[in-house]
Amino acid sequence: MKKYICSFLGIVILSTLFIACDNTDEESLVIYSGRSQYLINPILDAFAESTGIDVQVRYGGSVDLALLIEEEGEKSPADVYISKSPGPVAYLAERGLLSDLPEDVLEISPGSDAGNWVAVSGRQRVLVYNRENVTESELPESIFELTEDKWKGRLAIAPRNGSFQDFFTLFRLQHGDDIALDWLEQMVANDVKVYANNNSIVQATARGEVDGGLVNHYYNARLKVENPDTPSENHRFVDGDSGSVTIATVAGIIPSGNEKNAEKLIRFLLDTAAQQYFTDRTYEYPVLAGIESKHDLSKPPTIDFGDFNILGSGLERTLELIREAGFDI
Amino acid sequence: MRQDSIFSRSDSEEKNSFSALEVKEKTPVLLLLVSIVVALLFAVPFFYLAVRNIVNINDLANIFFSKLTFYPLMKTLYLACTVSIVASFIGVVLAWITIRTDVYWGSFWRIVCPLPLVFPSFVVGTTLISAYSPGGFFEFIFLPLGIEQFHRLDGYIGSFLVLTFITFPYVYLPVAARFSTLPSSTEEASRLLGYNSLATFKRVTLPQIFPTIRAGTLLIFLYVVSDFGVVQLMGYSTLTTRIFNTRLADTELSLALGLVLGIVALLIVLGERFFSKELNLVNDNPAIRPIKLKLGRWQPIALLTLLITLGAGLFSPIIILFWWAYRGFVNQTAGFATTSDLMTLALPTVNTVGMSVSAALATVLLVLPIAFLVTRFRSVLITPINAIIVSGFALPGLVVALSIVFLSINVTGFYFLYQTLPILLLAYIIHFGAQAYRTAQVGVLNLDNRLSEVARTLGTGRLLLLIKIELPQMLPALAAGGGLVMLSTMKELPATLLASPIGFKTLATHIWALNEAGFLADAGVASLLLVILSAVLTWLVVIRNSTHLR
Repeated sequence: MKKYICSFLGIVILSTLFIACDNTDEESLVIYSGRSQYLINPILDAFAESTGIDVQVRYGGSVDLALLIEEEGEKSPADVYISKSPGPVAYLAERGLLSDLPEDVLEISPGSDAGNWVAVSGRQRVLVYNRENVTESELPESIFELTEDKWKGRLAIAPRNGSFQDFFTLFRLQHGDDIALDWLEQMVANDVKVYANNNSIVQATARGEVDGGLVNHYYNARLKVENPDTPSENHRFVDGDSGSVTIATVAGIIPSGNEKNAEKLIRFLLDTAAQQYFTDRTYEYPVLAGIESKHDLSKPPTIDFGDFNILGSGLERTLELIREAGFDI
Repeated sequence: MRQDSIFSRSDSEEKNSFSALEVKEKTPVLLLLVSIVVALLFAVPFFYLAVRNIVNINDLANIFFSKLTFYPLMKTLYLACTVSIVASFIGVVLAWITIRTDVYWGSFWRIVCPLPLVFPSFVVGTTLISAYSPGGFFEFIFLPLGIEQFHRLDGYIGSFLVLTFITFPYVYLPVAARFSTLPSSTEEASRLLGYNSLATFKRVTLPQIFPTIRAGTLLIFLYVVSDFGVVQLMGYSTLTTRIFNTRLADTELSLALGLVLGIVALLIVLGERFFSKELNLVNDNPAIRPIKLKLGRWQPIALLTLLITLGAGLFSPIIILFWWAYRGFVNQTAGFATTSDLMTLALPTVNTVGMSVSAALATVLLVLPIAFLVTRFRSVLITPINAIIVSGFALPGLVVALSIVFLSINVTGFYFLYQTLPILLLAYIIHFGAQAYRTAQVGVLNLDNRLSEVARTLGTGRLLLLIKIELPQMLPALAAGGGLVMLSTMKELPATLLASPIGFKTLATHIWALNEAGFLADAGVASLLLVILSAVLTWLVVIRNSTHLR
């Protein structure tokens, strides 16, 4: 036992020395990714293989990684930051921690007005519902119908979750703060149930604990793989409705002196092969026109970030409104 | 590794006079210096919070006394108080049953009792919700019994239940260690004098284990304060959930609340020390085995108690994890996305074992000098040192992780350590030091000072004395504390994600990533592996090192 412990401690010390002596001559790229390892790693591996660049990735929560990059400041080892949603990237952009992207990259995909982050792929906001408790004719066209009496006590939202907050930010930018707040207050009056995140809403819907809830489309698509018998289904609101906005995975470049390789990666992510991978393997919507999906994702949605670039301060206002509607957050 | 029973065979009446002598000795300068350096390391998160808040010093007072602070603070304290009272009661009962009675399958229970600690809190939360919510896994078992609909598991009740059933090991482990070394002579005397079991427990046993219970209860309290995973899933707002939920949208508020939490923790630990009486323990006599009470017809009740408690905190999550894994196995085409390649689990497993055992060992080594200082000597520095080490446990893991990043980035001479294993180890030590520290204190208190005196008279040096005479005596207590650190490290997430060498993975980060992507079958397999690993390590590190727990 003691031997094992001693030898491990030895390894710890040795590895430190090796890391300290690590030479950085060869082409390399450090990525901080808030997008889950099992969804994005295959495509990052493909990038490493096709370019010969040594790719290293730190996976973590999008928000936590943004705070880490802020804490690291100029000394940040990160070259590229990938976030699950626009909120954390906008936070970094607002603090001047992101580089400008080249014009042609910004033309491929929707991004911020200031030009320092772009969408890489998209997830659709949907209503997940339990087909045993909700009939198809009952399904709403617009998110505004959810405040009607017939939905009283049957629906779930996750107001503390980042993707709900991003949706609500777009919602209030589209319709104005008053209408958005009024909607949320009516949802509360309609006895909406509160959950922690997308996953818990999908699982509660599958159990029949609630009849439906507002989530990103990915989680139910994944649950159907794990459990094909699940009675939970995704329902899309009509195009243009605030309920069917797209929450995009976004990427930005950290000014670290390695912008050349970082730009290569972003171009690679926006290229056909990667876009096809996202639509086929991770059930996401492509940001590139002309990608056919093997799933029921054929209709590429329009991604409109609106005034999303002011999100840094915009998110604080969103939080205020959610609090005003009566949620303890 | 065994306690040496030959040296310990002595009369307990005479021993205490020596402890009294030692307390009056002058504090050795070296011991004081080492303690100060260690305490400075533990102060890093507090220092970080202070520095990050200084820019907004004008708003600080407003935030401190606003509604946004007061309500979650009250809710935090309410939850932490109720959980720590009930969980510590459960911990004592379980320790008593497994150590002091002849309950069936005793050695099995002794291995599994500490294990509820090992699940990352989002795993326990998610699995227990899947198990006990309406339409959940256990519904079709309960439905035929006529129980129609469970209430949804959430809010205060949900947080209270889940946290109680996963935190009792903080009391169980040290109390079990204490029970196993407590001399039975006084209890036998009490029985001979005609007191029944209950009266004996109340008058004789309880006063002996009370300091240990109190130390463990404080750990539970601080754990609940720091927890994010369970309370967030249950939708119960505490200071920690508010720190997390506002960390992007309102960074100033989040940091200010972090400072509030740190100050409250410091005050609570100071208060606990102020109100606690001087510890005065009967020295152990490991030569005499503790009496094992014959349960007889109470046997089923004891078994039922164990089954219900562990059923909630350990077996239910395991069943759900099995269910997820089974579903993935049945739908093999897509169910197992990563586990089909078993090598994806190999490296995280090795890393988990290496880091958790090293963290346990390093933490015990670092807090031991402080335990000596605080227990044996008097100095004005003792109170603040004690407070800083213990209250660090109440801080959310994210704050500790960011403070370590802050240290390596901004303090000259630390940057070469940035994102290396030693700095990650330091984060674990700072966050979990309290767990080893309190039990180390009990270990120092229980030292047979007469032995040390004899050895010193014979000319034994201080270091040799420590290694040959004192460490073997303290081993059960140190192993219990080290075991707590080990189990906590096995599930640690924020520091491992943010401060590890790039690409470094543990089982906990693997499970987290799988869960984020909704790969439930793979997450189930990895979590089950984590439980098995924790059982093996608990046996190796804790049980084997305390003879009487076996």
